[in-house]
Amino acid sequence: MSDKLKQIINKQSEQQIGTTEHSADIVQLVGFIIGEEEYAVPILTIQEIIKPIRWTRVPQTPAYVLGVFNLRGSVIPLIDLRTKFGLRPLKHSDETRFFVLKQGDEVAGFVIDRLTMAIRIKKSDIGAAPDTIAADDSMIAGVGKQAGRILTILKVDKLLARDF
Amino acid sequence: MDEFQEILQDFLVESFELIEQLDQDLVELESRPDDLELLNGIFRVAHTVKGASSFLNFDVLTHLTHHMEDVLNKARHGELAITAEVMDVVLESIDLMKSLLSRIRDTSSDGGIEVGECVKRLDKISGGSGDVHTPVSVAAPIVEEKLVEELKVNQDEPDYDSMGADEVEAEIERLLKERQDQDKAKRAAKIAAGESVPEAPPEPMDEVEAKPAPKPAPVPVAVQASPRAAARAKQDEDDAKAAAPATRAPTVVEQTIRVDVKRLDHLMNLIGELVLAKNRLIKINVDVEERYEGEEFLEELNQVVSIVSLVTTDLQIAVMKTRMLPIGKVFNKFPRMIRDLSRELNKKIELEISGEDTELDKSIVEEIGDPLVHIIRNSCDHGVETPDIRLAAGKAEFGTITLKAYNEGNAIVIQIDDDGKGLDPEMLKNKSIEKGIITEAEADVLSDKEAFALIFKPGFSTAAAVTSVSGRGVGMDVVKTNIEKLNGIIDIESEIGIGISMKLKIPLTLAIIQALLVGVQEEHYAIPLASVLETVRISKDEIYTVENRSVMRLRDDVLSLVHIGDIFEVERILDSGEHAYVVVLGLGSSKLGLIVDTLVGQEEIVIKSMGDYLKGIEGIAGATIRGDGGVTLIVDVAALMQIAKGVKAKAMVEDTSASSKREKSRASDYKVMIVDDSKTDRMIMRKALESLGVTLVEAGDGQEALNILKQGDHNFDAMLIDIEMPRMDGYTLAGEIKKYNKYKNLPLIAVTSRTGKSDRMRGVESGMVEYITKPYSADYLSSVVQRNVNFKSEFL
Repeated sequence: MSDKLKQIINKQSEQQIGTTEHSADIVQLVGFIIGEEEYAVPILTIQEIIKPIRWTRVPQTPAYVLGVFNLRGSVIPLIDLRTKFGLRPLKHSDETRFFVLKQGDEVAGFVIDRLTMAIRIKKSDIGAAPDTIAADDSMIAGVGKQAGRILTILKVDKLLARDF
Repeated sequence: MDEFQEILQDFLVESFELIEQLDQDLVELESRPDDLELLNGIFRVAHTVKGASSFLNFDVLTHLTHHMEDVLNKARHGELAITAEVMDVVLESIDLMKSLLSRIRDTSSDGGIEVGECVKRLDKISGGSGDVHTPVSVAAPIVEEKLVEELKVNQDEPDYDSMGADEVEAEIERLLKERQDQDKAKRAAKIAAGESVPEAPPEPMDEVEAKPAPKPAPVPVAVQASPRAAARAKQDEDDAKAAAPATRAPTVVEQTIRVDVKRLDHLMNLIGELVLAKNRLIKINVDVEERYEGEEFLEELNQVVSIVSLVTTDLQIAVMKTRMLPIGKVFNKFPRMIRDLSRELNKKIELEISGEDTELDKSIVEEIGDPLVHIIRNSCDHGVETPDIRLAAGKAEFGTITLKAYNEGNAIVIQIDDDGKGLDPEMLKNKSIEKGIITEAEADVLSDKEAFALIFKPGFSTAAAVTSVSGRGVGMDVVKTNIEKLNGIIDIESEIGIGISMKLKIPLTLAIIQALLVGVQEEHYAIPLASVLETVRISKDEIYTVENRSVMRLRDDVLSLVHIGDIFEVERILDSGEHAYVVVLGLGSSKLGLIVDTLVGQEEIVIKSMGDYLKGIEGIAGATIRGDGGVTLIVDVAALMQIAKGVKAKAMVEDTSASSKREKSRASDYKVMIVDDSKTDRMIMRKALESLGVTLVEAGDGQEALNILKQGDHNFDAMLIDIEMPRMDGYTLAGEIKKYNKYKNLPLIAVTSRTGKSDRMRGVESGMVEYITKPYSADYLSSVVQRNVNFKSEFL
């Protein structure tokens, strides 16, 4: 009797592990374009994606910090990823978006050139960043491969960390 | 279990409140050892804590308080003289009691703190007081008493069986006394009820709207037996003491309610949002008024807007008041501190406190404590001299430190005066040079006041001998930073041999402040109004350059100037006009003139943090959201003054060339913009002007015209503007254009079918120089344009 019970319990727990494994196996990302490359961040770190709005310049900051903007009553920093990645700044177009990322209490908006799509990708399809840039202070969490394209997955905590 | 927690919470709150009062009472007691009222009050505290803690099974605390009670009991029966030594032990035991209570608060148990030593000392005092009538043999008083105490501890109620005859008598007397006290309190309550208890000491009672009227006579808190102070104090204090129990009467207690601070904070945040929304509403109202001038619903809208803004302001004040605490909460700990310090330093110091019921925002009350401790310690250590020096200098033996608080406008002032040796500016300068804080050349030009400010420099310490009290070289600079963090300012005055007077001026609240909004180029900044002394309009030739710094003459003073654009790296795309505005900033004794392009106005702003990512940007204290939804940065005046020192003069002398009109060599060098939403009208104007040969640029509405101007591809000599246009009308466009210094002198010509007088007036107000009404003749338009662009006749 107790054996049977154990078996059932074991089975149940196995199933549970199975399902959690299944969902843990898939990573959901949102892809976007900066310059020529496609990047992605985990979907749960995105608070919202908005069309460009007015912002205020903040002095004494690096060029990639555009300033601050008002998001429904909160003052949020705005960072230009093009400039941060060493690309020439571009005039905002109809496709430009502000990505508002959030981790813990830290919130910041990032200017991206274009949104691509929400992506579900298997964990096994994500490789480590190339050794040369895999250092701890790198902003790259990994490289995802899917249907002939390559996604650079960014570390959100590094993006949100102040580095000046 | 929950019930127990609840009781425990109440017990802790009550105990901490009692202890706060206790500290002050004890110090007073030392100066008036035979004040029975005072002694009884103190005794009751020990007794209450003992009773409650034994009920809650905190044995260590019970043990300690019991022994304290013993000593105090003896004292109030006159069996024990309160000497400084006795006081030391009693105060020590109260400190222990405090740490025990904190421990109970943190861990719900009173273990881990050793009270044995202190209890022994307490016993020694109560036992060895030389009470001849005690039947207990002198040889073993401690052991005996200990036994008795253990019993008492376990049973809470005094065990009358195991008491000696005298002790029983003492207990009876105590109970009688207590009864008498109660009667007395009741009587006092009756009297007080008739006259609203104004003299009560700062109790956390319902004082929300009680304005802190400055007390006529400061209540001196003598630290050591000082007949003068004692005599003066006695009357006041007696009154206060008599009234004190009245505030504990149940009817009064019911009028207050304890609220979690988090709720108040949340409320304050919501009010902040409301203030922003109100600002926005006001702005929209103005816009609507402009657009729908004369419409009937405007009046109604106006009424609503003004009611909303009025109520918001009242609400804000009301919520601010709920967060107010009397500063006495902070002041209370100083009598004790001064007492300890004066004993440690062998000085005689008395502290006079007044205005302790002045109220301040809770967050400020919490922050102000440490800076005050530093300042008062410094006064004791460096300011007040030892008694012999004082006597030799012909001063009273007792040094006096006065601590007072009072309201001044929208701020509270805390003033700390001492009658010590004062600050010697020369000595300060020499010392600063020695320590490399300033150079000799700098020292020469310092005024006395600026020299006093040297004590706030990091790494400065004036005491020759380093003591445990102060003189670690940190302190005053930390004080300054802390005060400035609160948007406050420090002002020092001093005279050698007379003393020092320090004034801390602190805003009543932190979250919402009045600010002056200034414009530079296309950007706006908010300057806390508390630091703005005045604003002046100057012309460029009033700015002089001295030693690579811009200065101007302001009445009898020379004011150093810095351009806000130089500090905040503002790109000078637009040229500033002939005139500029100087905002005179004052922080303590230092002054600075900040050159800005425009003054926008005064506004109530809500300070918002910019998050960790942008925290601590030099010169920026935070951000606020304006009525139009945009973000405006708030200037950190203290940091700005620091930055200004490093900024060399370029002020505004250069780039006048940009605006100087290039010499016109042919007719097509003249550029005129035509702004009209009707294509036909644009065509008519074009036809009228084409014959002149000037270059014409067309825009379909105000917004488009503004964009063309902003791009800066053309240098226009004049603009023809229609009034009624979609997106942005002519008046607004004119107003916008005039905001840019570059276009201050650009002639704007209104071309419209609106002929009313008020329309003309508005045209003039928004900066139009001419007003042409449709229909017009081609020649007339042409001549008006020629006149305004200074068209050279040879091109005709």
